[in-house]
Amino acid sequence: MTVTEVFRRRAEPAAALAGEAGTIAAACHAMAARFHRGGRLFTFGTGGAATDAQHVAVEFVHPVIVGKRALPALSLTGDVATLTGVGAGAGFDEIFAHQLRCFGGPDDMALGISPDGRCGSVRRALATARDLGMLTVALAGGDGGELAGAADHLVTVPSADPRVVKEVHVTAYHVLWELVHVFLEQPDVLTGEDGA
Amino acid sequence: MTGMQQLYPFLYAGGPGLDALMADVRRSTAEKAADIARLRESVLEEYGEALAVCAARMADAFRAGGRLFTFGNGGSSTDAQDVAALFLNPGDAGRPLPALALTTDVAVVTALSNDIGFEVVFARQLAAFGRPGDIALALSTSGNSDNLIAALREAARRGMLTVGLAGYTGGQMAEEPAFSDGRHHLFVVPSSSVHRIQEAQTTIYHALWELTQRELTQAELDREAR
Repeated sequence: MTVTEVFRRRAEPAAALAGEAGTIAAACHAMAARFHRGGRLFTFGTGGAATDAQHVAVEFVHPVIVGKRALPALSLTGDVATLTGVGAGAGFDEIFAHQLRCFGGPDDMALGISPDGRCGSVRRALATARDLGMLTVALAGGDGGELAGAADHLVTVPSADPRVVKEVHVTAYHVLWELVHVFLEQPDVLTGEDGA
Repeated sequence: MTGMQQLYPFLYAGGPGLDALMADVRRSTAEKAADIARLRESVLEEYGEALAVCAARMADAFRAGGRLFTFGNGGSSTDAQDVAALFLNPGDAGRPLPALALTTDVAVVTALSNDIGFEVVFARQLAAFGRPGDIALALSTSGNSDNLIAALREAARRGMLTVGLAGYTGGQMAEEPAFSDGRHHLFVVPSSSVHRIQEAQTTIYHALWELTQRELTQAELDREAR
């Protein structure tokens, strides 16, 4: 295995993101409509995806592009006391769902990230978010795993390597952030149904 | 109705303005996907050999008992945590190696920031933990963060292997003497987009992890064969 092989393995899954452009556009339009009416974004994932959840949240709260407004986003992975407390009590699958029940409302959004789509706590949180009337968005890999059908908008990456999937997720959520702002700057397209 | 309209009929309630906007944003996504693919190619071209050398040095360091310390600010702090978690807990994909992100302990970060200043948050932790033969991995998009520069200097002073990831033209990190003597590694992603830089850096640290794992496995196989 050479460096070249490592890099080449990224090419196809990364290019496949273009095929998800319609899903991403629809998700961003729906998210922008929610932000427009005061909704907040909650992000979550376990393992490496926990760091992605935090990365998405900081993109929205503190945009790297000067002049873009701060939007309310919170990663549910940052509070170690709550994560370990809920995990030890109600169980690990409840770590995000519990927080959503406390913080979330029908105007809000849930973004779950799981490179293999087989994360019990992400699945549980998306189901809870849906019950609460939230908009649900998921980033997964392969065929979406158990997240297929669990979210209003599902972006998948055709790779079984969780590291390759993660790399495409990073591009996907950077684009999500950017396009939400594109829609927010055109408020006339944000009225009416938003797919929630 | 087009496929898009069938899938997302609600999108078309907004009229032609929305249609045009949707087409724009779809095109924008495809452009971004093409941009990052090209950027990864440039990184491979520029740094392919250096990445292999760096991974071999990291493997040597781990073999000799070294530990990996990672750090960055903002989005790069999440990459620092991701890369540390990958080395420490790779699941079935590799052997666990000692790695710690210096960004996660809020008590330490706030204590150092409050009592001394934010520029020392990583350097002081390296002063506490770091030993000769350890590895310091700094992640930045600009290359200009004071606390990363201070930490890289501390790491070099302590005889650690230092690895830097930056963007643009490398900023202040590119001026650091440690990176000019050939024993340390700086990888500069040639882009002016913070987002694309971070995406390419993710590939760089995944490649470093994979190549390091490979080096360690190969060395073991060679030893067994003898």
